[in-house]
Amino acid sequence: MLYSISHTTKYDYDAPVSYCHNIAVLKSRRSLGQELLEYKIHISPEADEISERVDFFGNYITRFSIQKEHTQLKVTTVSKIRREYEQFKNDFRSDACSKISLDQAKKSLLKTEPDILEAKQFALESIFIKKTDEAISNYAKESFKPNRSIFEAAEELMQRIYIDFDFVSGFTSVSTPINEVMRNRKGVCQDFAQIAIACIRSVGLPARYVSGYIETIPPAGQEKLVGADASHAWFSIFIPSFGWVDFDPTNNQIPGDQHIVVGWGRDYYDVPPLKGVVYGSGKSKLKVEVDISRVL
Amino acid sequence: MAEAKNAWFSKYFTDNTYDEMFTADLDVKGDWNKLLENFKDIGVDGLTQRQNDINWLLEENGVTYNVYNDPNGLNRPWNLNVVPFLLDYKEWQLIEKGLKQRADILDRVLKDIYGDRKLIKEGIVPHEVIYSHRGFLRQCDKIHYKIDRHLLLYAADLARGSDGRMWVVNDRSQAPSGMGYALENRSTANRVFSDVFADMNIKRLSEFFKEFNELLIEASPEKIENPNIVILTPGSHNETYFEHAYLASFLGYPLVQGNDLVVRDGLLYMKSLKGLKRVHVVLRRVDDVFADPLELREDSHLGVAGLLDVVRRQNVAVVNPIGSGILENPGLIPFMPAICQFFLKEELNLPQIASWWCGQEKERNFVLENLNKLVIKPIDRTNREHIHFGELLSAKELEALRIEIEKKPYHFVAQEHISFSTTPNYSKGNFEPRNMVARTFAIAGKMGYNVMPGGLVRVAPERDNIRVSNQRGGTSKDFWIIGNSKTDEQPSFNWNRKSAVSVSGLDDLPSLTAENLYWAGRYVGRTLVNARFLRMVLKQINAPEAHAQQNITNGKLEVLLKAVTQITGTFPGFMKSDTTQLSSDQILDELTAVLLDRNRVGSLANTMSMFNNSYYSIRNLWSSDMWRVFENIQKIWRNLEIEKNLTVTKLIRALNQLITRLIAFMGLIEESIMVDQGLLLYFIGLQLEQGMLTITKCRALLVIKQSSQTEYEILESLLSSHESLNIYRYSYRSYIRIEPVISLLLMDLHYPRSLAFHLGRLQKDIARLPHSKKSDVFMNYEKFVFEAFSSLRLASSEALANSNTDGLLREELDNLLEKLSDLLFKTSQSISNTYFNHTYKQSQLVDQNFPI
Repeated sequence: MLYSISHTTKYDYDAPVSYCHNIAVLKSRRSLGQELLEYKIHISPEADEISERVDFFGNYITRFSIQKEHTQLKVTTVSKIRREYEQFKNDFRSDACSKISLDQAKKSLLKTEPDILEAKQFALESIFIKKTDEAISNYAKESFKPNRSIFEAAEELMQRIYIDFDFVSGFTSVSTPINEVMRNRKGVCQDFAQIAIACIRSVGLPARYVSGYIETIPPAGQEKLVGADASHAWFSIFIPSFGWVDFDPTNNQIPGDQHIVVGWGRDYYDVPPLKGVVYGSGKSKLKVEVDISRVL
Repeated sequence: MAEAKNAWFSKYFTDNTYDEMFTADLDVKGDWNKLLENFKDIGVDGLTQRQNDINWLLEENGVTYNVYNDPNGLNRPWNLNVVPFLLDYKEWQLIEKGLKQRADILDRVLKDIYGDRKLIKEGIVPHEVIYSHRGFLRQCDKIHYKIDRHLLLYAADLARGSDGRMWVVNDRSQAPSGMGYALENRSTANRVFSDVFADMNIKRLSEFFKEFNELLIEASPEKIENPNIVILTPGSHNETYFEHAYLASFLGYPLVQGNDLVVRDGLLYMKSLKGLKRVHVVLRRVDDVFADPLELREDSHLGVAGLLDVVRRQNVAVVNPIGSGILENPGLIPFMPAICQFFLKEELNLPQIASWWCGQEKERNFVLENLNKLVIKPIDRTNREHIHFGELLSAKELEALRIEIEKKPYHFVAQEHISFSTTPNYSKGNFEPRNMVARTFAIAGKMGYNVMPGGLVRVAPERDNIRVSNQRGGTSKDFWIIGNSKTDEQPSFNWNRKSAVSVSGLDDLPSLTAENLYWAGRYVGRTLVNARFLRMVLKQINAPEAHAQQNITNGKLEVLLKAVTQITGTFPGFMKSDTTQLSSDQILDELTAVLLDRNRVGSLANTMSMFNNSYYSIRNLWSSDMWRVFENIQKIWRNLEIEKNLTVTKLIRALNQLITRLIAFMGLIEESIMVDQGLLLYFIGLQLEQGMLTITKCRALLVIKQSSQTEYEILESLLSSHESLNIYRYSYRSYIRIEPVISLLLMDLHYPRSLAFHLGRLQKDIARLPHSKKSDVFMNYEKFVFEAFSSLRLASSEALANSNTDGLLREELDNLLEKLSDLLFKTSQSISNTYFNHTYKQSQLVDQNFPI
């Protein structure tokens, strides 16, 4: 599938901002079954300096600063991406993936092979997913049993979150504590992904946060998917000796060609699409627009 | 039990196994014997006297240590005990070697953790010890530095363990404190013990600080002769702020706060009065996560947004590098022998405190079985508050801790609970054994690490108290390393370069310092003028004729009381009511509030606390005399605040003292700080404030015309509060009349207390500001002052004294004063906007408040 994606983030300030420093995670990283063909970033007003680097997790980080006074910041990225991922979904049903039990997985994780070592850091606490309480571990234990396949358990966890949690935008913010989200069972895609990650980590397995987009124009006869006009997020679980498998609890499906990966990390903190420090005295108003279209 | 042979120590004995003064055979060690011989010559009274001298010197020099949540407030005096801690050079050489080795290993660990992570890949350090430590900053991964060493400054806390050797108990790496205190302790001890210093071969510290200075210069990413080096402090409320200011003035580098620095075009700049000045090296005392609100802790106002990226581009060196907090990690201790083998193929020289990392099953089981005997710490929070002493915990608390550990075992380390050695401490005429810890320092040099020959020794605040920490309020000691031969090196630094700042003139003055000086001038002016006015009003209330009338009905007092509210700005105050209806108690209550209510904006107490804040923030510019007078002012005020039975007489007496000290203080400022160091800003603030208050005073007292008797009394009060009564009588030799009063207080060009004089002076001073010199065109603030000065010069005192047709109001005077007041207000704004523009509020694009 070939996609053209444009993503615009606009901040309107009610008082002039004298300068700002920003960090963006908007350029799609290398990932399985996905290729970035074209990428452009437009910043208005024009950035006085801009640089790009690859971070600890392998994501592209764009840093820029605007040193002239402005009352609006507009960042637009236009990407052309080839996504051919459906082919890998069959492997998930293979024994190597679907027959690994929790006990087996935890035993494998004691090894010190490079991929295991690399994955194990995602089993630890992170900035937004820490000090999780019993409600989370109990919720996890309903699906994760010592002798049960962790693939199955993760799939069930995804379904349960989809059923048990209500999609309510504006109810939570980036800094809503994870335990509170669990209590209220309301939130948006970031919250659902992070709840799942918290659950998986509570049983001792590595899970990571994936940030990206989802194609929302439904094929004829199908329901429109949630996550339109904004960034999307889901989670990924590490299955020892197989690899990482993604799940989207917001839409109750294993991502295929309609999910486009931008970056990943331990939680939202590692891959916020745009953040920054501004110097000024006013308040700001945010508007985000994401437009995804198939290139025929 | 041990007993000293020297009569001096006949009472000194200790139940502890190890006391620093004794050998294993309970003999007094040679060096200590020599010290005791010296003490014998000095005598008990002599020693008490020297302890007093030390206390006095420290107080004189304003050596303080801020203890958080201390009821005694900030800036508690630093304690230095008269008995030093002695260590023989032979033993020290072994320790020195061990410290060099440890610094070297930790430097390699730091490079590896943010580089290839071989330690983790090869299974030498479990990944959780690094990855679960909040000091592991992924943002710092793979940063390259131009300098060989990454760990440039290292501190280790040492204590003598049960085997009689010095053990490492703590590693400090992100922004270790104590070097400045060690230096100050030495400087003080040097003065008090010049005779003992002559007699004993004490290793000097000067060479170390010279090397430290070289390190800072070497660290510069650009090889230029005079790189710009700044010392970054979190500010005057930080516990060790004294030390930051002390090091800044000792080394001669500007002391800055995050707000003083800014990132532009990938470079770091200091905001100076003239503009931006490139910074090459930052010696920071701000912790890792606070250093950059863009990439690290977002609610930090102590750092500089974008700093980490400047580091990444190798355009600035931060000492120590951001991210080095990962080494403050007791989780590494159990793995240090293996790490040492891995990097150096040798044994660890310095023993460490026995530690068990709970991430390993065997160790965890041992810890859980012995929980009540061990000391438990999280690997990434090594301050007191997070440490559990097993033996002090109840069964319930132990159970809670066990659950914590089992939930996140990799996050905890248990350490053996040992009682460290004791060392003699002089207390109330006696010697007492106290548990001790020594902080030692190593810095990266061209040939490996250099170790400070000495350090900062701290002892427990009480006998039998094993917890040693300054945060809890302890005592420090000078650390003497005693050699066999006379040290021939001479102190090459001037130990008392208190007020030296190497910035080359006004242009390079950090703008925050400039602003603090400006406000210091304004607040000191305001305090003085208000104190004088309030004193005058209190005197009027206390006058016999006021007492004669139960209800104060005379018009003079009413005008004066309303003027109190107007001048201090403590509205509504006396403005809301008819003061003739107030009882004398009600009047006194309000006046007391205007004097003492700290929380009331405009009160004298409030103004003074603003004045204190601006002074603390620029204390690196102070002389010791200034400090003493300042302390004195504080004392007067503290005493007044706790006084239960306040009377008008007591208030007047306190105001008299305050005014005298303030004037002394102002005199000292003028002779202690150079104009180019920023005194100019102080003068501008002072003149502006005095001018503004003269205007307010005249508006409150002179604009409304009174009956001739009342007017006479008001004019007399005005002159008296302005300290101008004598001058008036001398100059005019006449009955007090409005027109000559206006001439004297507003228009006289030669009288230093007149408005015209203030404005004239202001005009000259602002012309010296960096931007004033640019062109023939006036800056805005110059225009405003010029206009104010000209308007005043063009006015005539006769016309100003005239009232309007109905005879109630001096309209022309009112109009002029209003105009002048407005112009001076605009002047202040324009100066702020031009020179102190760091006041831009920093905020996050996306507000996500959370700790890292």
